[in-house]
Amino acid sequence: MNMIFRMALSKLRYHKSRTLLTGIAIMLTTMLLMAIGTSGFAMLDMNRQLALAQSNYHAVFRLEEPGQLPVLSKHIQVESLTTIESFAQIINGKMNGSLNYYEPVKDGIYFSNLELTEGHFPEKEDEICSLPSFFERIGAEPVVGGKVTLSFRVNGKGEIQTREFTISGLLIDRDVSTVISDSRIVWGAYVSKALLTSYAEAGLYEADPTAYLRVYGEDMLSYDEIEDKINSTASDIGLDEEQISCNKEYLFTMTTPDTDTFAIIAVISLVVILFSTLVIYSIYYVGVITDVQEIGKLKALGASRRQIGRLLFFQGGIVCVFAIPLGLLIGYLLPYFLFPQVIRALNATALESGQLDHLKGLSNQLHMFSLPFLLITAAAVLITVCVSLLKPIRMAGKVSPAEAIRYQENTTDCKSRKGHHTVKVSTLTWANLSRNRRRTVVTMFTMGLSSVLFICVAAVLNSCRAEDLARRSIQEGEFRISLDYSHHDKEYPENNLDMLVQQDYFNESFLEQLSSIDGVESVKRAPGNILSSTDIESALYEDADNRLSLSYFTREDIPALNEELVSGDIDYDRMTANNEVIYTHAYSFDIYGLALGDVFPLTLHDGDREIPFTVTLTALSQPENYDALVIMTKDSWDNLGLTYDPTTDIYLHVNNAQYDNVKKTLQDIVAKNEHFTLYSLDEEMSIGRAGISLTKYPVYLILVLIAVIGFMNLINTMITSVITRKRELGILQALGLSNRQLVRMLSAEGMFFTVGTLFISATLGHVFGYLFFVYAKKMHFMSLTSYHFPLLETILLVLVLLGGQTAITLYINKKVEKESLIERIRSQE
Amino acid sequence: MNEHSNIILKTENLCKYYGAGDNLVKAVDCVNLAIKQGEFLSIVGKSGSGKSTLLHMLGALDNPTSGSVWLDGENISSFKENRLSQIRRRKIGFIFQSYNLIPSLNVWENIVLPLGLDNKEIDTSFIQDIVKTLGLDNKIKNLPNTLSGGQQQRCAIARAIAAKPSIILADEPTGNLDTKTGDEVMALLKASAKKYGQTLVVITHNEEIAQMADRTVMIADGKVVE
Repeated sequence: MNMIFRMALSKLRYHKSRTLLTGIAIMLTTMLLMAIGTSGFAMLDMNRQLALAQSNYHAVFRLEEPGQLPVLSKHIQVESLTTIESFAQIINGKMNGSLNYYEPVKDGIYFSNLELTEGHFPEKEDEICSLPSFFERIGAEPVVGGKVTLSFRVNGKGEIQTREFTISGLLIDRDVSTVISDSRIVWGAYVSKALLTSYAEAGLYEADPTAYLRVYGEDMLSYDEIEDKINSTASDIGLDEEQISCNKEYLFTMTTPDTDTFAIIAVISLVVILFSTLVIYSIYYVGVITDVQEIGKLKALGASRRQIGRLLFFQGGIVCVFAIPLGLLIGYLLPYFLFPQVIRALNATALESGQLDHLKGLSNQLHMFSLPFLLITAAAVLITVCVSLLKPIRMAGKVSPAEAIRYQENTTDCKSRKGHHTVKVSTLTWANLSRNRRRTVVTMFTMGLSSVLFICVAAVLNSCRAEDLARRSIQEGEFRISLDYSHHDKEYPENNLDMLVQQDYFNESFLEQLSSIDGVESVKRAPGNILSSTDIESALYEDADNRLSLSYFTREDIPALNEELVSGDIDYDRMTANNEVIYTHAYSFDIYGLALGDVFPLTLHDGDREIPFTVTLTALSQPENYDALVIMTKDSWDNLGLTYDPTTDIYLHVNNAQYDNVKKTLQDIVAKNEHFTLYSLDEEMSIGRAGISLTKYPVYLILVLIAVIGFMNLINTMITSVITRKRELGILQALGLSNRQLVRMLSAEGMFFTVGTLFISATLGHVFGYLFFVYAKKMHFMSLTSYHFPLLETILLVLVLLGGQTAITLYINKKVEKESLIERIRSQE
Repeated sequence: MNEHSNIILKTENLCKYYGAGDNLVKAVDCVNLAIKQGEFLSIVGKSGSGKSTLLHMLGALDNPTSGSVWLDGENISSFKENRLSQIRRRKIGFIFQSYNLIPSLNVWENIVLPLGLDNKEIDTSFIQDIVKTLGLDNKIKNLPNTLSGGQQQRCAIARAIAAKPSIILADEPTGNLDTKTGDEVMALLKASAKKYGQTLVVITHNEEIAQMADRTVMIADGKVVE
C-alpha cells in the first residue's frame, strides 16, 4: 500500500506535464461547477433581496363589492392589508400615467416606490404626491407646496377633468433613462381620500380598490400552503381565483428556493460534468496506453491487477487533493468579485428603475456561499475522476507482461498494413494517426463535442439580439408612427378607430410630408386594422368590449404562418373563397374556448359604414408580428372595398447619417397629433438590450469555459502524442528526418484534429445549434426570435484552433530540441 | 593504392566529455581513427568504455566536445543540424541493438523510410533484391511487432542499406539475438556490405564477430587501446 502510494507519487513527478494537464482539467471542472453554483446562489439571493426590497405583500385581490374590504380587513388569516385605488388616468400628451389613492389598512406592508423623501401623503382634496421626475416631466417644479395642474379622466373614462393640485410630498425618485420617451414609462401619482370621496359623492367615481395583503405564517409555510391560504381567504369574501394574484416573485424567494434557477444550474452542471469526464477520461486513457510498458514491467515483477488499479487511483487522488480545493477557491472567488461587476454593468442598461437603487446597495453583500453545495461539488468532481478512471484501470489490468517487453505501443490489433510504396512525411503522419484509431477517435469526439457545444451556445447567444426584440415593435425601417386608437370608448367615441379612420390622418399628403423630411428614404403603410363586432354571444368579443380589430395576411406571409401553425391549415384560395380566418394567439384561443370551425357573423366598422361579414376560424398560428387576433387573406380584405384607409401604422426607412435629425423632426410632427405615437429603433433597442443582458453575460462566461476545456483536450493529445513518441521521433531523426520535416509532421497531425473538429462543428455544430435554437425559442428563452448563424464565433473558433495548434507544435518542438538526439533515442518515455 | 585517398571516415582528437569538475566523465578521449573505404571494422570494449558514444559521433548523431569527424573529406562536426540530417539519410546507415523500427509502418515502409525522407526515387528492384537477400520477401506488409527479433534486425539492416549509404554503423546488432540468429544476421550484414561495397563499422561484445572483421579496435576508458 505504502509502496504503491510512493510509486504513484513518483510517477506523477516523472510525468510532470501529464500531471499538470490532469490537474488543470480537474481544477477547471471544479471551478466551473463551483462558479456556476455560486453564481446561482448569488442570483437567488439577489432575487430574494430585490423581492424583499420592492414589496412584501403576498397577494393582490381585485375587490368587486364595497362590502368585501371590511370583511377582509378583519379576516383571521390576514396579517396586514393595504389598498390602492386607481382613481383616474392622467391625460398629458403621450404620458402614460394614473392618479391613485393609497391606504394602509392594517400595517405591515411596504412598497419601495412609495417611500417619501419629504412631505406627507395627500390628505386634502387638492393635494398630490409623486416622484420629483414626474413633476418635472409635466413641467412643474418638484417642491413641497408647489402647484401643478393636471388633466385626467376618472376611472379612465368619462369627461376629462382639469384641476390644480398642491404638492404635499415627494417620493424616492427613480433613475429613469432619459433615452426612453414618455409613452414607454408608466407613471403614478397619489391623491387624497377626500378627492375620491368628493367625486364618488357626485356619482362620478366608482371605487375599484385593489387590496394588497399578507397572510400569517410566512416563516413556516411552503409556497403551496400560503397559496392555499390566500385562495381560501379570497373565497371567504366571495372572490374568484381570477380576481386574485399572488406575488410569486416574493413568495417563491421567501418560501421554497427558485426551482427554475436550480433546474438551469443542474442542467449546466450536468453538461460540465459529462464533458469533463470525457476530457479527464481521455487524458487517463492516453496515459495508460503510454504506460503499457511500465505497467507490464510492474506486472512482471508481481504487481496484481488490484495494485495496478490502486496505483492509478492514487495518481488521480493525489492530483485531486491539490486541484479540487484550488478549483473550489477560484470557483467561489470568481463570482464573488465578478457578480457585483456584472450587476453594476447591468445598472447602466436596466429599465426597471425601481430596482436600481437597491441593486446598487445590495450587490456587495450578496450571500452566495453554501457549504453543502461546496461539498456536493467536491464529491461530484471526485466521482467524475473515479468514473473517468474506471475504463483506463480496466485496460491497465489487461496489460500482459509480455506485451511490455515487445513494444512501446501495441494497441493495434492489425498484424499487417497495406502501406505505401514510398514513404513521405504525410505517410508518417497518417500511419501514426491510424496506429491508434481509438485514441484518435476519442480525441476527435471530445474536441468535436466541445466545439459543437460551443457553436450551439454561440448560435443561441448570437440569435439573442436586441434588434430582434426591437423588431417586434418596429417591423421594418427605423421608425414607426402608430395611430393610438380605442376600440369602443363610449364617452370619447372620436378616439375609436372607426372614427379616427374618417379623419384620414395617414393620407397621401401626410406621407408625402414624411417623405420630404431630409434623410427619409421611404415611407410605407403597414397592413391596416378594422374594427369588428358581433351579435352572437362570444367570450372573445365580450372581453374586447365587442370591438375586435381584424387585419390581413398576404400570400408571402404564408410560409411564416405555416412555421408557427398550431392547428388547422392555411390554403389561401380556399380561405379567400370561404371568408376563412386565422387566429393568432394560442393562449387566448384556449381561454376563450374557441375551436376551429367556429363561425362568427360579424359587422365590420368601415368608418361610418357597416359591412356584414361572416368568418370561419380554420387555423391557429402564432406568428410574432401580428397585433390583430384575427387575420383574413389580403384578397378577402380587398373584396371588402373599404371606403376609408385602414392604416394604423407607418414605417419609415431613414438614412443612418441623418437618424437623429429625422427623429427630432418626427417627434415634432408626432407631438402635434395626440393620436400619434412614435417608436424609434434606438429606444426599442435599448429596451431590448436591457432585457437580454442579464442572461447573456453569464452564458458568455460558460461559452469561454467550454472553449478552454476543449482546447485543453487538444493540448493534451498533442503533448502526449509527442512525449510518448519521443524515442520514435529520435529514431526518425537519426534516420535523417530534418527538423523542418518533424515540424511538418507534427503540424499535420494537429491539423488533422483541427480540421476534423472544424468539420464536425461546421456540420453537426450548426445543425444542433439550429435545433437548440428552435428548442430555446419554443421555451421562450431570452426572447429569441430569429436564428442568426454564429459566423463571428465560428471564425473565432477556427482562428483559436489553428493558432493554438501551431503554437503548441512549435512549443513542443522547441522543448524536444533541447534534448540531444542520443538522449531521445535512449529515453524510455 | 594511396593510403589517404582511401580513407572515408576519420577522427582527429575526438573527445566527448560529460559533467564537470569531480563529476567529469571522459566518454571518448582523444580518439584518432581512420577507416578505409569498404573496410569492415569492429570496435570492442567493456560496457561503458565509450564505444557507443564514439559510434554516435561517427554517425553525426552526437556532437563532440572537441576534435573533429571527417566524412568523405568534410569536417561534419562543424555542420548545422539540417545538413547533418541530410548526411544521416544519404551517407550513413544505422543499425541499433534494439532494432528501432517505426511501429506504425510496415516492413517495406520502414525499409524505404530514409529514401522517402530524402524525397528520392525508390529503386524498387534494388530494394526487392535486399529484401530477398535478407529473407523478408513474404513479410513486407507486416507490422514490426509481428516479427521475431531476428526478422526485425534484418529489417533494420535492410533499412540501413536501402539508401545505398557509404557507411553502415551498427551498435551491437546481434546483442538481442540468440547465437544462431546472431550469426545469421551478421553473415547477412557482412555479405550485403560487401555486395554493395559499403564500409561497415560494428560495435560488438562477440569475439566471433570481431574476428570476422578486417580490423578490430579496442576501446577502454574512452581511449583506443589497440
